[in-house]
Amino acid sequence: MIRGEAEVRRNSDAQPAAARSAYIHVPFCRHRCGYCNFTLIANRGDLVGNYLRALEQELSWLESPRTIDTLFIGGGTPTQLEPAELARLLEIVSRWFPAAAGAEISLEANPSDISSEKLRVLRDQGVNRLSLGVQSFDAAKLKFLERDHDARIVRRNAQRALESGFILAIDLIFGVPEETPSIWRRDLEAALQLQPQHLSTYGLTWEKGTSFWSRRMRGELIPMGEEAEASCYELAIDQLVEAGLQHYEVSNFARPTFACRHNQAYWNGRPYFAAGPGATRFVGGRRETNHRSVTTYLHRVLAGHSPAFESEQLGAEDAARERMVFGLRQIEGIERHRFHLETGFSLEYLGGAALETFVAHRLLQWQEQYLRLTRAGLLVSDSIWGHFLRR
Amino acid sequence: MTIDCKHIRNFCIIAHIDHGKSTLADRLIEATGTVQKRELKEQMLDDMELERQRGITIKARAVRMEYECQGETYELNLIDTPGHVDFHYEVSRSLMCCEGALLLVDAFQGVEAQTVANAFAAMDARLTILPVINKIDLKHARVDEVTAEMEHTLAIDPGEVLKVSAKAGLGVRELLDAIVQRVPAPTGDPEATLQAMVFDSHYDDYRGAIIYVRLMNGKVEKGDKIRLISTATTHEVLELGQFVPHQRPCDSLQAGQVGYLICNIKSLDLVNVGDTVTIPGDRGAAALSGFKIPKRMVYCGLYPSDGQDFEELRDALEKLHINDPSFEFEPETSEALGFGFRCGFLGLLHMEIVQQRLEQESDVDLVQTAPNVTYEVLTREGRLMEIHRPQEVPDSGAIEEFRQPIVRVSLIMPSESIGTVMKLCNDRRGVQQSIEHLSPTRAMLVYDLPLAEVIYDLHDKLKSATRGYGTMDYDLIGYSPADLVRMDILVNGNRVDALSIICDRRDADRRGRAIVKKLKSEIERHMFEVAVQAAIGSRIIARETVPAMRKNVTAKCYGGDITRKRKLWAKQREGKKRMKSIGQVDIPQKAFLAVLETGDEKA
Repeated sequence: MIRGEAEVRRNSDAQPAAARSAYIHVPFCRHRCGYCNFTLIANRGDLVGNYLRALEQELSWLESPRTIDTLFIGGGTPTQLEPAELARLLEIVSRWFPAAAGAEISLEANPSDISSEKLRVLRDQGVNRLSLGVQSFDAAKLKFLERDHDARIVRRNAQRALESGFILAIDLIFGVPEETPSIWRRDLEAALQLQPQHLSTYGLTWEKGTSFWSRRMRGELIPMGEEAEASCYELAIDQLVEAGLQHYEVSNFARPTFACRHNQAYWNGRPYFAAGPGATRFVGGRRETNHRSVTTYLHRVLAGHSPAFESEQLGAEDAARERMVFGLRQIEGIERHRFHLETGFSLEYLGGAALETFVAHRLLQWQEQYLRLTRAGLLVSDSIWGHFLRR
Repeated sequence: MTIDCKHIRNFCIIAHIDHGKSTLADRLIEATGTVQKRELKEQMLDDMELERQRGITIKARAVRMEYECQGETYELNLIDTPGHVDFHYEVSRSLMCCEGALLLVDAFQGVEAQTVANAFAAMDARLTILPVINKIDLKHARVDEVTAEMEHTLAIDPGEVLKVSAKAGLGVRELLDAIVQRVPAPTGDPEATLQAMVFDSHYDDYRGAIIYVRLMNGKVEKGDKIRLISTATTHEVLELGQFVPHQRPCDSLQAGQVGYLICNIKSLDLVNVGDTVTIPGDRGAAALSGFKIPKRMVYCGLYPSDGQDFEELRDALEKLHINDPSFEFEPETSEALGFGFRCGFLGLLHMEIVQQRLEQESDVDLVQTAPNVTYEVLTREGRLMEIHRPQEVPDSGAIEEFRQPIVRVSLIMPSESIGTVMKLCNDRRGVQQSIEHLSPTRAMLVYDLPLAEVIYDLHDKLKSATRGYGTMDYDLIGYSPADLVRMDILVNGNRVDALSIICDRRDADRRGRAIVKKLKSEIERHMFEVAVQAAIGSRIIARETVPAMRKNVTAKCYGGDITRKRKLWAKQREGKKRMKSIGQVDIPQKAFLAVLETGDEKA
């Protein structure tokens, strides 16, 4: 802590790199699941037309098309759109965000929405990665999660996606009340059988404002205990790594070279564009989030007003601190020299005494020039980050 | 205007809490026309907010009333005294200023511990007792039984008992007549040298100390020079007057009267309750007997929860001390809590009052350590040490005798609870002094108990053992040797000085276990295991382990989540910073009171 900011910062004058990633939010869903607090509007297909017009309007404010290396179309449920609507969406997006050679173009899909027709539209419009919201293969668990598909639909459509040449990413949820380790193990096995290139495992989170939260507050839902949840998480890591996937971020696993480049851009502090309700962009050191209410978003944009609703300008040190945290959430960890060079701050300076403590407690470790989480540290990592951040 | 002593009556009201003292005072003030009806408000005399909130009297106060009886006009001075044992000394001084006492007893509740303690104090001060049963209009009033209880416990003549309802205004005139007829007029010589008793004071930001006095002899006029004997300081009387109940200036006060003096005294340190006011020089009157510097019986540490607020806390304590010199404070340092103050109080209630006022009157967030009583240690070299905090206890090898304060406790309860209450006292190493049946349904136990046992939780335990009907009062009777030890608490091997306690060796195991168990429940899971141990010297007597946190990791964190998560993590860390961190273990402020756990919970 002796070295002042002025000394450790080196390349403060460097121009921020141009954004090479973009996120598009599609806020439509047939139904809001009990655990979900994302920006979406359920059962309002009638708004799609306005949404597409608003999106086109918002993107036009970019003034010129921006070539991107990664694009992620998330939701909501993008596959809720009819084939023609999907085609229109992708057309608009690719006009403003033309893909560079080898770009990763992902789209989130609901297993029961997938049809050959939709897959063809996606393929034709350059989508090459499908992120399938499987969550589980267990009928009772799917019912609890209020999902509208079953294992059979998942198998059939995952197969179709792979055959159509998409990179397949599967999302699974664990930690559902009354879930047993064997249910979770079977989910992992079933997912591996489909041979996806990418797998995400999410511990069920209880978010304020969701129906699960209220039910929990009323004592109707009892979360899985901390111990059982930890076992499930560790089971996933062991089982997936055993199957040849790399654990590359807290919740993400991939076959070699199939890590999601779009998400890595977020975690490595790189800039990205965004459009759609509730979408967040990070351009020129400024993080900005659009209005989360779909109708407000539509009104504002169609009336020619900015949909931005909150924003913050990150200073060099705050940006570096954020990068340290999200860098460490990636299992490989952070290479100290590159970090210093790119952010202007050293890990030791940002970590201070707390960093030494965590290393002493074997929650973090130095391996060669990398600082990374240990398994023990990974499991309790949320308790670490506050020490490296400022409000 | 001069007034003959025979037209003065000075009296106080003694009562258990909630027996209607304030209401009766209000009614007397109203019935004598001292305050116009439209100016009346509830609890006229309890003007501290805290007193109104808690329904208790903390500061003594006075009010002068005029009452006509059989064609003569009398000046009645009601001196309102605090009733709680913490203010025992203040009460004794107030009693010295009266010739009579209204002994007020609730027609339903009957005689309570405080009634007995205060009645005996009044009798000891040779006051004429006017027994009064209040709330006679209550549906469940049991006037005859209560009369019998008064006769039985306090040797009251049933024929002398006055029956009133302060709330309904019943019997108030008769009571006023009785005050005139039965309370003796003060005896004092207006021509003699000035001799006045200071029975309280308060501080006015503009005028300095307002000194409450009762003149025993002589008189005092505006512009007189006076001397306070205990501090040997001389002052000029700038204003004097009486309370009606607000301050009303007058030209002179003389023997028998009650009033106030303002002498531009800028610190209450100079104005000691029980002190004597007389004239300057060597021809002054003798000091009135019974003056003492109050002894602080309970100590605790007060620390700002944010170390930055130390100076602010000091200012707040100083400001409060101007108004209440009976608590003392001095800076102390704790390894665990940083810079703070060791504060001494008259008792536990006094401690609570000071703390509440600190919190109300300043913005400082406080961490309080568990209170402890004042112990005495006689060292091998024959030196007598007063111990105000556990850290001051010398090594056991250097101690010849370890002594603790003993109090005589009177407990009054329904007869069916006697067994439970006796067990309560025996468990706390009480020595029974007497047992008395006040009536077929109520009994009084008297025990000698270590004060330390009393202050922790005896009152709460008594209440729960008697379904709320038990009452108690106590009186310090002295120090006696005991087998005491200092018990330390270690968190991950680090001794936390602010958690050390002094306790009886025979209780150490039980309390040690209870404390570490309580601490275990107060300390959140950390990223590593936390061991909490109790030790006497180097011997560990109890241990609990707070297991390491097993899982705390956010699953999803993408572009839109980053800001929210960053703020959440940073905020959680901020929250932890408000805790005291000892050897990397965050200890919540509440945990510093964990040492109050006695470990005799049945559960």
